[in-house]
Amino acid sequence: MSDLAALVVQQSLNGVYLGCLYVMVALGLTLIYGVLNQINFAHADFVTVGAFTAFFAATRFATKVLGLPDAAGYLLSIIAATGMGAVLGLAINAAVFAPLRERGDELRPLIATIGVSVLLENAQLALFGPIPYQFDSPFARETIRIGRVFFSAQSLLVVLISAASIGALYAFLRFTFLGKALRAVAQDRETAGLMGINQGLLIGLTIVIASALAGMAGALLGPVLVLSPFAGASVIVKAFAIVIIGGFGNMQGTIIAGILVGIIEAFTVQYLGSGLIDLVVFVLLLAMLVVRPTGLIAERKEENV
Amino acid sequence: MLQATGLSKSFGGVRAVRNVSLAVPEKSIFALIGPNGAGKSTLLNLLSGIYQPDAGDLAYDGRDLIGMPAYQRVRLGIARTFQKIRLFKQLTLIENVRAGFHIHEDTAFWRYLVRGSTGRFDAEARELLEFVGLGARAHERAGALPYGQQRMLEIARALATRPRLFMLDEPAAGLNAAEVEFLLERLADMARRGVTLLVVEHNMDLVMNVAQRVFVMDHGEALFEGTPREVQAHPAVVSAYLGGEFAA
Amino acid sequence: MIAALPWLLSSGYWRGILVICAMNVLLALALNLVMGYTGQLNLGQSAFYAIGAYVSTLLVRSLHWNFWVASLAAVVAAGFLGLALAAFAARLRGHYLAIASLGFAVITYQVLVNWESVTEGVRGLYGIAPPVRGTVALFYLVAGIALVVYALMDNLVRSPVGDTLRAIREDEVSAASLGVNGAIWKAFAFGVGAAIAGLAGCFYPGFVGTLVPDAFNIVESFTMLAMVIVGGMGTMIGPVIGAVVLTFLPELLRGFGELRLMIYGVALTLVVLFLPGGIASCFKRRA
Repeated sequence: MSDLAALVVQQSLNGVYLGCLYVMVALGLTLIYGVLNQINFAHADFVTVGAFTAFFAATRFATKVLGLPDAAGYLLSIIAATGMGAVLGLAINAAVFAPLRERGDELRPLIATIGVSVLLENAQLALFGPIPYQFDSPFARETIRIGRVFFSAQSLLVVLISAASIGALYAFLRFTFLGKALRAVAQDRETAGLMGINQGLLIGLTIVIASALAGMAGALLGPVLVLSPFAGASVIVKAFAIVIIGGFGNMQGTIIAGILVGIIEAFTVQYLGSGLIDLVVFVLLLAMLVVRPTGLIAERKEENV
Repeated sequence: MLQATGLSKSFGGVRAVRNVSLAVPEKSIFALIGPNGAGKSTLLNLLSGIYQPDAGDLAYDGRDLIGMPAYQRVRLGIARTFQKIRLFKQLTLIENVRAGFHIHEDTAFWRYLVRGSTGRFDAEARELLEFVGLGARAHERAGALPYGQQRMLEIARALATRPRLFMLDEPAAGLNAAEVEFLLERLADMARRGVTLLVVEHNMDLVMNVAQRVFVMDHGEALFEGTPREVQAHPAVVSAYLGGEFAA
Repeated sequence: MIAALPWLLSSGYWRGILVICAMNVLLALALNLVMGYTGQLNLGQSAFYAIGAYVSTLLVRSLHWNFWVASLAAVVAAGFLGLALAAFAARLRGHYLAIASLGFAVITYQVLVNWESVTEGVRGLYGIAPPVRGTVALFYLVAGIALVVYALMDNLVRSPVGDTLRAIREDEVSAASLGVNGAIWKAFAFGVGAAIAGLAGCFYPGFVGTLVPDAFNIVESFTMLAMVIVGGMGTMIGPVIGAVVLTFLPELLRGFGELRLMIYGVALTLVVLFLPGGIASCFKRRA
C-alpha cells in the first residue's frame, strides 16, 4: 500500500470515527426538529452533562466505589450518561418545553432553549469550575493495527456503539408501534392527534430519546473533548451544520452529513491544522444555506399562502 | 385592464395552473370560480405577484408584470386580500390600516428621525374603518376581532393602498348571511367608486348577484367564461361542480 | 437624573459597571431593532460588536487615525457587514436565520482568533487608551450616545418606518401585498443594528484597556438576547430595562459566587415562560 493511499485510508477512518461522534450528537437534534419543528439550542449542553456524568461515574464511582476495572467502569459510565441525559431531558421538557408548546409561538420556544442552554452552562460552571477535566478512556490506550493503518480500541468502540444505537433507533421507528406513531406525529401533528395518538406522550418520548442520545454522545466524546462546561459550544456549531447539511428532520441525511463532516475535519486537520476546522465547517454551512437551505436530501415544502 | 395569456405554474410535478388566459375589463366586477383545487388561489397569487409563472404573459394597463415582485405591483394600484386571513394580529385595527398607507408616504427619511409620526393618514384610516363598519373599535387588537370582522379589516387595510384593481380571495368564506350581505354592499360601493374587482369565490350567490363576468376554472385549466346566467346554464360547469363542491 | 448616577456610586468599581451598563444599553437597543421590530432572530450581534472594537482599535494603533474618525469607520464597517448578513439571509426563515447568524458570529470569532498577524489572536492587544480620561467622563460619553440613539430610534419607531417594520414582523407576505419591500427593510434593520453594536464596540477596548477575541464569544450574543427578551422585546424601554437589570443583578448577587451567572439563563427562561412581554409589559397600560 503506497504512502498516500495509507494516509488517505487512515484519515478516512479517523473521519468515520469523528463522524460517528458527531452523528450521535446531531441525531438527537434532528429527531427533535422532525417531531417538534423546533431547534433545541440546549442540546449541546445535554452532551456536556452526559460527558461530566460519564467522567464522574467512571473515575469516581465505578472504580473507587465499586472497585471495577477501568474498562468496565467506562462502559458503565456510558450507560450512566445515557440515563442522565434521559432524565434531564424529561425534567426540562416538563418544566419548560411542554408549557410553551401550548402557546403555539415559533420564536419563544426557541428562545427558551437558549435560556436553558445558558442556564445549564452556568450551572455546570458553578459546580465544576472553568478548568477543563482530563477524561481518559481506558480503551484509548489500546491500539489496533491492520496493515499500515492504526486506530484505537476507543474509536472502534465508538463506531460499534454508534452503529448499534442508530440501528436500534431505526428499528424502533420502523417496526414498533410507538415508533410508527412518532413518525406519524412528525409528518402531521394534527392528523396524528385526531387519530388518537397522545401527542404529549410522544413528544416527551422523543425528547427523552434525543436527550439520552446526547448523554451517550457526551460519554463517547468525553475522552476527545476539552471537558469544561463550555464543551458544548464547540460541538453544537458542528452539530447544527450537520443537521442543516443533512436536512432538518431527515435521519439518513444527518447520518451521511455527519460522517462527511467528520471526514472533512480529519483531512482539514491533516493539511490545514486544527485551528481552522470550525472556520471550514462553518463556511461550508453558510454555503449550504445559500445553495440548498433544505439540505442535501430533502423534499421542498411550498409555503401555503 | 388586466390581461393574462397562457399562464402556467407547477409545483414539483403538480400542474396547478395550465395555460390560462383571461382579460379583466376595467371598472368591472369579475368573478373567478371553480371547485376545490381548481387552481384559483394559485392563479390569484400569479396575478398579484406572490408567485412568478413558469410560462405565459401578464400585462396591466399595457405594462408587463412578469418578473415584477408583489410589493411593486401594489404601487401600480393592484391590491389583494388572502384566503387565510393575514392580519397583523398584535397590532391595533388602526395600526393595521395605517400600514396600508405606507406606499403613499413620501416624507424624507431623516424627518422621521427627528419628528416621528406625522399622523398624516390617520383621518383617512378612520374613514376606511368606518367604511367596513369597524370605526368604533379602532384601538382594539386585531387578533381580538371575530372572524367576520377580521375579514372586513383586511379589506379596509388593502383599500388603504388606494387600488384601481382589487383582488379578493374567497372574501365570503366563513361569513354568516348578514355579513355576506354587508360584504356585497361594500363591494358594490367600491365598484361604484371606480375600483375594478376580481373576486375568487365558492359562494354562487355572491357571484351571481354581483359579478358581471364569470370565469370558471377546473383542474388548473380555463373551463368557460361568460355572464353569470350563461355560466349557470353551462353543462360542463355544472358537472365540474357536482364532481366537487357546490356551495349555494 | 442619569447624570447624577456616577456621583451616587462613589467607588471606581461601580462606576465601571455603569459604563458597561451604558454599552449594554446600546447593544440591547441594536438587537431590539432587528428582533423586536422586524421579528428576525439575530444571533450574530457579537460579530458586529467585535468588528467595532477591532477595526477602531487597529485603525488608531496601526494607522494612527484619530479615535473619532476610526470609530466612524468601524461603525460603517460593522454596518456594511450587517447588510451583508441581511443579503445573505434574505431567503432564510426563523430557525435557519438564527443558525446562519450564529454561524456568522462563529466565523468572525474564528477569523479574529486565527488572523494573528493583524489581531494578535488569543494573546490580544494591550495598552489601549480610552478616548476620554476617567471612568466618569467615559460614562457620560457612552451614556450620552446611548441617549441620542434612544431618542432617534424612538422617533423612527413611532413613524411610518416603525409601522413598516412591525408589519414585516407580523406577516411579511401580507406586508408585501401592501407594498412593503421586505428585503430592503430587513437589510436596513440589520445594517443599523450592526452599526449600533459596532458603535458600542468602539468604546469597549478603551474602557478595558486590552482587546482579546474571547470578549466577543457567541455567548455575548446570547447575553444580548437575554437583555432584550427579559426587558421586553418590541418596545423601546424594554431593552434599556433589560440591559440595566442584567448588568446590575449579577453584580448585586456576588455573594452567591459562581451561581450568579445563572441569572442570565434563569431570567431568560422564566421570562419566556411566564412573562412573554418582558418586564416592560408590566408597565404597559391595557388599552
